[in-house]
Amino acid sequence: MSEKELGQKWDRCLADCAVKFGTGLGLGIVFSVVFFKRRTWPIVFGTGLGLGMAYSNCQNDLRSHYVLQSKVAKEQ
Amino acid sequence: MHLSVKFAVKIKQHILFATKLTLAGGALYVAYDSGLLGNGKEGSVALGRAKDAFPPAVEEWMKYFGFQLPATPKIEFSPLDAWNSGVQKSFHALSVAPSTASDYTKQGLQYVKDLTK
Repeated sequence: MSEKELGQKWDRCLADCAVKFGTGLGLGIVFSVVFFKRRTWPIVFGTGLGLGMAYSNCQNDLRSHYVLQSKVAKEQ
Repeated sequence: MHLSVKFAVKIKQHILFATKLTLAGGALYVAYDSGLLGNGKEGSVALGRAKDAFPPAVEEWMKYFGFQLPATPKIEFSPLDAWNSGVQKSFHALSVAPSTASDYTKQGLQYVKDLTK
């Protein structure tokens, strides 16, 4: 993987982290207000979910260069 | 009369629950549809769209409320460029250390020679 490609992947990772954090926070607030009588735990749970999804996406993106894709395996 | 009041209360509770479900489900659907819950590429595209939409939206709201936000101060520092600067400067200093040391030693010896003249 070239330095440029790695840099782009990290940029995507950080952007995705920000987006998922905001989405998780927003959805957590919505669910907290609508269903759970404005308690804090749905907000924390939603934020945690968002960060976890971002971490998982990052991991897959950074590993994708080294993982043999099934199409390549079939051709071989 | 008593039964109809109970029935009305139950109907009201069901309607309230259905409204809450619609709100929460709608928020979840909007998040999914805008690509906010997808992979990294979709997330960065969504962030780009939000960045592009933010200044015009702020300007419209300012016009609507009739006041101006102060201009954002321009910061010259770029974390992207400064990220490896510590390592780069340290290794540059290490690479020029021998020649710098010899220059300083020569200057010191010259100074001592001048003093002893």
